[in-house]
Amino acid sequence: MNIGNKRVIGGSDLLRVFWRSLLIQASWSYDGMQSLGFAYALLPVLKKLYPDRAEFEARLRLHREYFNTQPYLASFILGAVVRLEEDRAAGRASASAIDAAGLKAALMAPLGALGDSFFWGALKPLAAVIAVALVMAGAWWAPILFLVLYNLWHVGLRMSVLFWGYHSRGDAMALMARYSFTRMARLFKAISLSVLGGILAGISGWRPEFGPNLPLPGPVVAVAALASTMVLVSVLRRGGSPIKLMLGLALFCLALAYAGVV
Amino acid sequence: MFDLQLVLAIIGVALVGGIIGLDRTAAGQFMISQPIVAAPLTGWILGDATAGLIIGAMLELIWVLDMPVGSFVPADATVSAVLATAVAALTCPGGAPRSVLGFSILLSVGTAPFTMMADTYVRSWNSRLVDAAHAVTNADAARSLSRAHLTGLCAFFLKSVVLYLLLLPAGLAAAALFMRSPATVQVAMELFLKLLPLIGVSLLVRRLSIKALDPFLLTGFITAGLGALVLHLHAGIVTLLTIVTGWMGVRYREHRQ
Repeated sequence: MNIGNKRVIGGSDLLRVFWRSLLIQASWSYDGMQSLGFAYALLPVLKKLYPDRAEFEARLRLHREYFNTQPYLASFILGAVVRLEEDRAAGRASASAIDAAGLKAALMAPLGALGDSFFWGALKPLAAVIAVALVMAGAWWAPILFLVLYNLWHVGLRMSVLFWGYHSRGDAMALMARYSFTRMARLFKAISLSVLGGILAGISGWRPEFGPNLPLPGPVVAVAALASTMVLVSVLRRGGSPIKLMLGLALFCLALAYAGVV
Repeated sequence: MFDLQLVLAIIGVALVGGIIGLDRTAAGQFMISQPIVAAPLTGWILGDATAGLIIGAMLELIWVLDMPVGSFVPADATVSAVLATAVAALTCPGGAPRSVLGFSILLSVGTAPFTMMADTYVRSWNSRLVDAAHAVTNADAARSLSRAHLTGLCAFFLKSVVLYLLLLPAGLAAAALFMRSPATVQVAMELFLKLLPLIGVSLLVRRLSIKALDPFLLTGFITAGLGALVLHLHAGIVTLLTIVTGWMGVRYREHRQ
């Protein structure tokens, strides 16, 4: 159906895509990964753009092919694909223009790497270490702060990149320039490390469950905590895993207890 | 002896844990499933929010950078957090002592391989949903796709519920044995809990920086040391100061380059 130059996709359609994109990983599998989720998010738009059943099913088949990226930044690709489908349905797509399948294939890997390093590798640890620092100091509301800090960025960016993907037609360079994910990730990691340093320095003020109760001045205990952390980091660099380290710690504590040191 | 209240509590934890677990992969990913939120929530429901807060904070430090990159399935920190909290809260209803908190956290670490296996199984099983959606030719393709896709939610939910129904009774039995263990073992678990933050901080430093003594870590350490030990500032203010120091450090480094 040729719908001419008229724009048929509005903000409400994109919002419907956004709500559905929250379930993009509901059927995550090793074969299709987010394939069904991507098609599920696009369904309302495809139905609106392609009233002809055969054409609708053909486009749906195309969008349920293999797809995998970082789930939040999938919104950017969804927005871009909505725009390309709108152009295609209106007959506006030029012969040289990239098609929706090509765009998905081109963007999913780089956006996956970018999103993983920003959201999982920088934003989540930052919100977590701030919350943990406050829990160690006795703040019961730290989990609420964690959710607020994380989701202000998460929901804001997830919705924003969907609309930006639509308006930019999937211009990844424009996305990088607009959002500076790499620079922000560097900043968040540095702040996380600074807060972790603060957690170590405040060891004598930790809540009683963790307080060392040593008959030593606070600065001495803090320096000892920092030194122990350096040693543990060195051990981890030689191939320690969280599970091995925790089991090792448990055995160490048992040995100390049986030796009568504690 | 059959304890109906305990059975109901186990079923309740399984159902609530199943719903919280959906946030981990299948729905939203608002981070309600992170240990720092899931554990206090479970503890609050079972009447021991403090146990949840402590367990959640420790497991958060330990698992936060175990990331789901590509097709890698990390250990299910949500199951660990909910399970450890439920074991602590149901073993000692009046408020779990430190030794039980330490033991519950250690116990939850043992569940990591099972959670990874279960997650891998569900993700393999979900391939059938993709096949089912692809097989449809004549019927309403949109409806079939939606049905297949949303069935995945049920699969992820059931996976967590089954894990809790199997692991929680086993965990409670282990905790009951622990309560009868010699005092030395209990002292060791108390010490384990006290030393855990150092393990958690080390794991994060290891992943966030390539240097053993990172300049930002040191800056935060000195700032907080001055704020907490010399100026005796409130812990919230000290945390804020470390955030500002980290931010200023990055700005300074960018300005210099």
